[in-house]
Amino acid sequence: MKSPRDALQSWPVLRQLRGEDSLGRGAAAQSEASRNLHARTTGADEVVKSVCPYCAVGCGQNVYVKDGRVVQIEGDPDSPASRGRLCPKGSATLELTTGPGREHSVLYRRPGAADWEPLELDTAMDMIADRVIEARRESWQWTVDGGAVRRTMGIASLGGATLDNEENYLIKKLLTALGVIQVENQARVCHSSTVSALGTSFGRGGATTFPGDLQHSDCIVIQGSNMAEAHPVAFQWVMEAKARGATLIHVDPHFSRTSALADLFVPLRAGTDIAFLGAIVNHVLTQEADFREYVLAYTNASTIVSEDFRDTEDLDGLFSGFDPETGKYADTDSWNYAGAGVKAASGQRDKPQQDNARPSVQSSGHSESHGSGGHKLDGEPQRDETLQHPRCVWQILKRHYARYTPEMVQRVCGVEPAVFARVCDALTSNSGRDRTSSFVYAVGWTQHTVGTQYIRAAAVLQLLLGNIGRPGGGIMALRGHASIQGSSDIPTLFDVLPGYIPMPHVREHPSLEQFIESDAADTGYWAYMRAYMVSLMKAWWGPAATSDNDFCFEYLPRLTGSHSTYDTVFEQLAGRCKGYFLMGENPAVGSANTKLQRLGMAALDWLVVRDFTLIESATWWKDGPEIETGELRTADIDTEVFFLPAASHTEKDGTFTNTQRMLQWHHRAVEPEGDARSDLWFIYHLGRRIREKLAGSTDEMDRPVLELTWDYPTHGSQDEPSAEAVLAEVNGWDHEGNPLSTYEALRDDGSTACGCWIYCGVYADGVNQSARRKPAREQNWTGAEWGWAWPANRRVLYNRASADPQGKPWSERKALVWWDEEQGRWTGHDVPDFPPDKRPDYEPPEGAKGKEALAGTDPFIMQADGRGWLYVPAGLADGPLPTHYEPQDSPVANALYGQQRNPPRKTYPHRHNRYHPSGDEPGSDVFPFVLTTYRLTEHFTAGGMSRWNKYLSELQPQLFCEVSPELAAERGLKDRDWATLVTARGAIEARVLVTDRMAPIALSTEPPRIVHQIGMPYHWGPNGLASGDAMNELSAIVLEPSVHIQEVKALSVDIRPGRRPHGPALDELLDDYCRRAGITAETGVAP
Amino acid sequence: MPTREQVLALLDEGLGYEAAGRSLGVPAGQAYLIATGLPADGSGSPTPEDLRRPGVSATSTQRLSNPPARNPTTSDTVRAWIRARAQGDAQMQQAAAAGQGKGPSSS
Repeated sequence: MKSPRDALQSWPVLRQLRGEDSLGRGAAAQSEASRNLHARTTGADEVVKSVCPYCAVGCGQNVYVKDGRVVQIEGDPDSPASRGRLCPKGSATLELTTGPGREHSVLYRRPGAADWEPLELDTAMDMIADRVIEARRESWQWTVDGGAVRRTMGIASLGGATLDNEENYLIKKLLTALGVIQVENQARVCHSSTVSALGTSFGRGGATTFPGDLQHSDCIVIQGSNMAEAHPVAFQWVMEAKARGATLIHVDPHFSRTSALADLFVPLRAGTDIAFLGAIVNHVLTQEADFREYVLAYTNASTIVSEDFRDTEDLDGLFSGFDPETGKYADTDSWNYAGAGVKAASGQRDKPQQDNARPSVQSSGHSESHGSGGHKLDGEPQRDETLQHPRCVWQILKRHYARYTPEMVQRVCGVEPAVFARVCDALTSNSGRDRTSSFVYAVGWTQHTVGTQYIRAAAVLQLLLGNIGRPGGGIMALRGHASIQGSSDIPTLFDVLPGYIPMPHVREHPSLEQFIESDAADTGYWAYMRAYMVSLMKAWWGPAATSDNDFCFEYLPRLTGSHSTYDTVFEQLAGRCKGYFLMGENPAVGSANTKLQRLGMAALDWLVVRDFTLIESATWWKDGPEIETGELRTADIDTEVFFLPAASHTEKDGTFTNTQRMLQWHHRAVEPEGDARSDLWFIYHLGRRIREKLAGSTDEMDRPVLELTWDYPTHGSQDEPSAEAVLAEVNGWDHEGNPLSTYEALRDDGSTACGCWIYCGVYADGVNQSARRKPAREQNWTGAEWGWAWPANRRVLYNRASADPQGKPWSERKALVWWDEEQGRWTGHDVPDFPPDKRPDYEPPEGAKGKEALAGTDPFIMQADGRGWLYVPAGLADGPLPTHYEPQDSPVANALYGQQRNPPRKTYPHRHNRYHPSGDEPGSDVFPFVLTTYRLTEHFTAGGMSRWNKYLSELQPQLFCEVSPELAAERGLKDRDWATLVTARGAIEARVLVTDRMAPIALSTEPPRIVHQIGMPYHWGPNGLASGDAMNELSAIVLEPSVHIQEVKALSVDIRPGRRPHGPALDELLDDYCRRAGITAETGVAP
Repeated sequence: MPTREQVLALLDEGLGYEAAGRSLGVPAGQAYLIATGLPADGSGSPTPEDLRRPGVSATSTQRLSNPPARNPTTSDTVRAWIRARAQGDAQMQQAAAAGQGKGPSSS
């Protein structure tokens, strides 16, 4: 209680009259409470430089540490990527890392037990090591069908996109040495189709540009992304462009903040983007609005295709070579160039003795190995520079897209011709010598049964318009996890080794020589695959890898088909996969068909979950939906479950690779508390224990793991392995121990070691280049001295194309790199993505190999012919050109072809994975609406990093669905009341948001038809502070054929008012729907 | 509280913000805020015009208001470990001595 005198003196007016602040605008107006407020940063001992762990924008963070504790986390204003900004998730990082939602103790669930029990970390590690050894021994395969495979199908691992590159590297390294091939992460379910699409089109599977360069765009088309909400900090660059006069177009089924800020919002029916983009291609071709000089010089438009090729126009939606029995394009030779064979990395090469292996090789995900090269070109392709030859790519494109008219767009997509024309005009008038346009997309494009071809359609368009490799141009793939690009590059993926070197296949790759012969190119930079591969094996097996033993090539386990995360689920259900690691991934919420995910885990012997919190994938055995329905009984579930708490990004060193291929180092600010450990710690010490237990073994199966280089220095009281040492191994060194500066220095004789050739240079000169932090204001917009981008720190890929064939910028306004005659080098604002001293007028001599075979006008240096590919003659499982097919479950018939769905898509018939009748099929009307899904600003993927966060949970507390007023009226849905959504797989409940944001789509069919769409975020699950049903209870496992990504952005559903039934009544509801729709095991399965 | 003119005058005399702040009895970051109207920790959103004000630094000013930043980029431990790995690899040494390796810069 204040005395009267004190109270008087605290009176602001008195302070104002007696003090120096006579106007009362400063100290006089400050209350005592205000005076006592102090920023959390006050008194901090140090600022530790870091990176946001949520999405892949890679915002810089300052971590304030006081007395050994993290006291505040703020945006780093020096970062060229974020300029100090953080979104709601990034701003809530302090709560993520220090809040009460985190677990810090190991938990153990015995088989059949009803609850957790505590367990010592050391004991848990020992038990897990024993489980791995046992499962591996029991399930070991030396051969499959007579071919050597040296592997186990008994163990699988999932997760890596939220982890550091160094952690991904050690996971892949250890598990591969153990013979585990089922290694996967979120990249499979989020952006695998990006790799195959961009890789086959341009030579590398990463975004061609970076968000900061969008400021130079004259037109930006955002399609398949709600950038303003899902990647809000990167969206600042779109706003910069708009402030400079750029036109912003948003094409999406769902009106969002991105739409609100756009000059033109184009709502379309979910699942029809290829029809929309194909019609723009048609417009460009028929109006001759292409950038012809660019097209002729830098694309394969003039290349002549085999006379055996038949287009979808000829075969009503099929390309030549389709085998209806296998449901695959069994013979793709007809897609090839005339007079020259383009051969994809494995599987489609003309080797008669391997024909019987083709189906399994095709399904083994080799399209993803085009992430950085991967085609071989035999012979010299024939070209017609006049573009008149009827079989040149240009003419094939014209015929293929002729039926993709504005009227067809209205019929298929529901976009009026006048609106469509505005998009065409904006794009074409903002492309050319003086102007550039960019495309931005995210998982709205990737997660379809035609996901690769969605992105390919944009690639075709951008090549025609001359927008690749140029400032303000490009295709910006917005990735959604902090290091999902890194977990593709240094992959925890079944089908690739680091740097997109393919995992060897049992039939194709019995030896290193045959592997190289089969997969390396003769021309371009993929010709040096042997140097990349041998250097990788030297990094992994060190002195044990010699020329006498093929550098331990035989130690690599072999693929026999698809071993994606979805295939693993069926391996679990079949009892063949017995042990499962989940590291930062939550498939019980985030993967398609969550019921099958849980049933798969219920069939395991053991499960290891490493996460911050008790996510649904850790607790399904006691509180999952199947417990409630009675399908599973906890006491009957024999899965042994280990929960190990994970360290946060502030508690460990390492790099994230963000959406622009940039590696950024985050430093360990404090040690993790309790049993929490980094995944680097976990995998390193697990490997150490396994090696100790196997020491002295003479069993041949143990040799790869015993000879593995596994000697990383450790530090601190917890024996944390040095992430910097791991990064140094990833970078590579020569025989003197000098860190390599560039992949140009790699050799194929074992004299260099390099864990990931495309990352070579990140530790150049013994300096951690990824930790460089030269402030944005002190360098140009590319930010070349902030972090390090692969390859070779180039920020805009294929930037040779920013200059004309003679090496001069197409225009001064769009100058990026150019040939400096005086210096005899390429120079400019960015690191040239081209041999620096190769003259623009260089012509390769006959028979030239490798990079010498690339002309001075070949900007796409990873492609065997140096050109951007409008038409992909090899490498994709579903055809050389993007073609519109309806989604797997669609209420609409394909208006373009008789073929309803993507013919070679992968279906998985199972009683819990039934598909819907589609289009005109009987029963289609039982599921008459289209569901599309999206991310919210306040939540993160499957919720593990946001639903336990009180601030984020308060901002978005509950699952909801967005419906139009018309649909609400039709189905009796009330705003804020409950609705139940139903598919053949599941039923979920959500709050209803009646809004104009989900406009009904009017299709100009005969008769005209209205399609109602429903929008829904996908972050919820039963656990956490903000809980709800998981959207993926509704989705099916049906996969894109090249890279096996699931379709969750467009599926047919029904919606009804009220809450869903619980218990056995839930299954009865689903049975009723299936009966009414006439669904059988065969529904939707035929090609 | 010092005035903008006072801070700018000291800058004109060649003092940095640390010294100017000491001279005027305020923290360096506060001196920067007084002189420029911009927070030294970079938390503002300055317009191009703002950045042309007298006293605005062309470089990062976080150090004026933040505690020391930790961002090491080299490690002696790692350098020594790399050397040991390379020197302990007999095949690597032999291959280098033979000089027969091929790669992008030596094909």
